[in-house]
Amino acid sequence: MGLAKYVARRLIYMIPLILGISLVSFLVMYSAGDPITIATMGNPMITETEKQFLRHYYGLDLPIPVQYFRWLTNFLTGNFGNSIYGNKPVNQLIASLSWETVKLQLVSIIISFLIAIPAGIYAAVKQRSATDYTVSSISIMGISLPVFFTAVVFILVFSYDLGWFPSAGAHGAPTLWPVFGIRNPILDEIAHLVLPALVLTLASVAYNVRLLRAGMLEVLRQDYIMAAKASGIQERTILYKYALKNAITPLLTLLGLSIGGAIGGAPMTETVFSWPGLGYQFVLAAGRLDFPVVMGITMLITIFILLANLITDLAYAWVDPRVTIE
Amino acid sequence: MEPLVDVKDLVKYYPVYSRGILTRKVIGQVHAVDHVSLEVNHGETVGLVGESGCGKTTTGKLILNLETPTSGKVYFDGAPVIQTLTKGTKEEKLKLRRSMQMVFQNPYSSLDPRMTVFDIISEPFRVHKNIPTSEYKDRLYELLSLVGLEPYHAERYPHEFSGGQRQRICIARALAVDPKFIVADEPVSSLDVSVRAQILNLIMDLQKRLGISYLYISHDLSSVRQISKRVLVMYLGEIVESALTSELFDHPIHPYTKALMSAVPIPDPKRKMKIILLPGEVPSPVNPPSGCRFHPRCEYATSKCSEEIPEMVQIDSDHFVSCHYFEKFL
Repeated sequence: MGLAKYVARRLIYMIPLILGISLVSFLVMYSAGDPITIATMGNPMITETEKQFLRHYYGLDLPIPVQYFRWLTNFLTGNFGNSIYGNKPVNQLIASLSWETVKLQLVSIIISFLIAIPAGIYAAVKQRSATDYTVSSISIMGISLPVFFTAVVFILVFSYDLGWFPSAGAHGAPTLWPVFGIRNPILDEIAHLVLPALVLTLASVAYNVRLLRAGMLEVLRQDYIMAAKASGIQERTILYKYALKNAITPLLTLLGLSIGGAIGGAPMTETVFSWPGLGYQFVLAAGRLDFPVVMGITMLITIFILLANLITDLAYAWVDPRVTIE
Repeated sequence: MEPLVDVKDLVKYYPVYSRGILTRKVIGQVHAVDHVSLEVNHGETVGLVGESGCGKTTTGKLILNLETPTSGKVYFDGAPVIQTLTKGTKEEKLKLRRSMQMVFQNPYSSLDPRMTVFDIISEPFRVHKNIPTSEYKDRLYELLSLVGLEPYHAERYPHEFSGGQRQRICIARALAVDPKFIVADEPVSSLDVSVRAQILNLIMDLQKRLGISYLYISHDLSSVRQISKRVLVMYLGEIVESALTSELFDHPIHPYTKALMSAVPIPDPKRKMKIILLPGEVPSPVNPPSGCRFHPRCEYATSKCSEEIPEMVQIDSDHFVSCHYFEKFL
């Protein structure tokens, strides 16, 4: 009873939030400039009349409130409009690109957590040891180095110099990438995934490790850990069953948020690797003020993050008895 | 009769590191516990008093090997505790863990917030398998009623309880393995005064009923006086005086004990109290003073005190003191 009611209320609260975000994004988009001017820039053959025709065609000559309401009514019926470039429906565009983005994100999130959990625990248990310092230094490096830098370095080393992995795209074109001389569509896909996933993991694993290390250090100081030890419970069990369970909550929040944000992709990484995903598309569309695409992707990200927030809150209440759903 | 718990020359030093970025060097040692010896007899409560940071809690944890001592020995019923708990077989370790338990100072951090009271108290059953699974519930209710809680409390989580109730849960958890000895580390210091008396009565009552021995660690002298048969006074990691409770409270010998006793409030407004104020602060345990550790704050200190470490002297059958000039204070 309480749960369904809570979820329903949270979902209703999302509506004004989504509308507000859409309005702000729309206004920002609009104030950024005129998409037709950008699209026709450098084309000396086009006349002012033709530009006016294009503006009228896309409804850009209408007053802003009217434009917004036109967009909103379409949006509410599930129609995101057509891209100014190529006239492709935004729905189709998003559908065709999301899989590549989600695939890349999920792989990097999973690897990141698989590395972060043991590394974070180890760094906390062996606090101030050489291992802790090594883990912490690598973490700081991962946090500090910008993605566009590590991505380029990785491409230079592993793609250009060593030739192990492809430097761009998600699929081999025109031929499949040979993995140990074998050309296979699945191996080709994996080979394309390695470098961008590695770059993304390096950027996120550091936060996860540091968060877990801090949480573990906090929990390991608690007396109930001592009490467990006094009960004769083995050290390993204490670490994984008692300490980790209490220390992992902040990481859970981060996991929820990263899964929610995954749909938005990693604009920078996707751009450097020319990854055919939503992030790359978003950067392209924003650059040329392709407003139906920008609005479409923005709304998608908004909805996913809001839902992820809700799920994270529910998960919190599920794992921590002190948190109650109100 | 052989004492139940026999602690011999227990030492715990914590290294102090330099603040290097890449390298770290040990630049000193915190002398948390320095050659502490004590005995706890069957069914007896021994009080361990001293200021904050003097090593009381560390001593308690070392006895149970919750922290690894730098050196020293602990015997429980003749069995070497530290050796058994580090090198013994699983059976031996569990047997020893069943005999000695600890109740911690802060009931707010000593219960896992994710576990129900049922899980917390029955956890030792699952580890030790000392009773059949079918009896978990009965034994749990027995323990709850022993510490003055109700059966319906079992399904609740720690955050739903007050401090006093939490401390009762902690005591029930310690009792779950039928221990013979419990280290009670300031079990009432974080509780309200009214709740304190209840918990102290509970602790004494359990001793009467179950014959448990306690090492009662506290800086609250009035509770120590109420509960202990013998008292040890600790200063900067060392024991400076030990005696039967009444003897220690009525005839303290060591200047530090005297100062400590003078700070105990007496419930008589007419009686003028002579409070001995100690000059200065407790010195750092990283570089403890030479000779007698108390000499920088002692009004009777001479050059001998700063040079020679005083021996523990027996002045009565149960009264020991470590002071060069104890004869002056007899």
